[in-house]
Amino acid sequence: MNGRALHFYLAGINNQNFLMRDKETGTWWQQITGKAIYGPLGGAALDLVLSDELTFGQWRSESPSGQVLAPVVKYVKEYDPNWEPDVAKLPVVVSFPGTELKSRDVVVGLTIDGVARAYPWETFAKQSPVLDRVNGTPLLLVLGPDGKSFRVFIARLDGQDAEFFLQADPQTWSLLDSATASQWNFQGCATSGSAQGKCLARIPALKDYWFDWRNYHPETTIYKH
Amino acid sequence: MNASSSPAPPLRNQASRQPNRRTSFWMWTTFSLSAIAAIGLLLIPAFVIRPFTHQSPGPLWLAMALRQRAPLGTLIAGLACLIFVFVLWRTVGRWRKSLLALTLLMVIFSTVMSRLNYFEWMFHPIAGAQFVAQAQSKLDPKEMILAVNLGGEARAYPISQMAYHHVLNDVVAGVPIAVTY
Repeated sequence: MNGRALHFYLAGINNQNFLMRDKETGTWWQQITGKAIYGPLGGAALDLVLSDELTFGQWRSESPSGQVLAPVVKYVKEYDPNWEPDVAKLPVVVSFPGTELKSRDVVVGLTIDGVARAYPWETFAKQSPVLDRVNGTPLLLVLGPDGKSFRVFIARLDGQDAEFFLQADPQTWSLLDSATASQWNFQGCATSGSAQGKCLARIPALKDYWFDWRNYHPETTIYKH
Repeated sequence: MNASSSPAPPLRNQASRQPNRRTSFWMWTTFSLSAIAAIGLLLIPAFVIRPFTHQSPGPLWLAMALRQRAPLGTLIAGLACLIFVFVLWRTVGRWRKSLLALTLLMVIFSTVMSRLNYFEWMFHPIAGAQFVAQAQSKLDPKEMILAVNLGGEARAYPISQMAYHHVLNDVVAGVPIAVTY
């Protein structure tokens, strides 16, 4: 923040999205938004670093020189190998009964210049690749070859909107674009055809529970198809 | 209302004790208010920011504002309580002594707790994160990870670990980042 490195620690919980404070100023920050909600830096916002939610297998194949956070021996017993189903069982404290999703339904949430949309995970996983348009931007949402990793790209090739399809051959996972019939990998880069060497722009997206996404994006729409 | 109409001798008798009683009332009141302040500075934020309950914007704001001021506030209120305990101690009987002691104990507890982060007792932070090359990692290929790639440096943070620690301060390719889950 303003050229100064901040160090964060867990400081509380706000409707099941945690609060953190920085050691340097004591400001309170909301996890999901990266915004300072109280304290000396109140009103400031952290820059979002593009990140992925992938299986270790998928990431390993893409990052040969990658580094993995080692488990802290002292706390290994505290790690819950079943975190996903266990967290899904926890009660919720905010709910949005008027909406068609349940609180603990998993969504892929994204915003394009402040316009938010949620993609129910079930629908997305069934339909992938999903082509959509949010706030005028053509989007491509793709489920990885492992059926768990996901990424979102801008579906634009040389300034033109592009369409993508999953290649029929299940042995070699790749996408094809309808304009050049080039092959594209899960990283969004063309590996063959006239587009070879080109890569699509990435869009940050968050895998989140519906109640949490909706709570911080009250105007969000839900993808339907 | 009209003091001059009261009989003179009893008034004079009371008048000699009145400053004491008034001082004592004033001291007890200030002691109680200081104690309430010190304890409230811990309990109100703790009550508002507790898991599995709904937080509304108003109380959340109050909780953060109090917690922000709690380290200094509890210290000042705690010292005030301590002084009053010293002063009042000799003037009171046994049960008031135990009341003073018990209250002081709660105030001290509050002053100490306002300086500690009990959330980190539940979810310990990572001090000095260690990394291993991906080939050395024993992680199952099906395990989910959070991944970043900055300036060609790729790092993976297993979600099973991040779901416990919640926050990790890291530096990737010279960029300070906070990894959260």
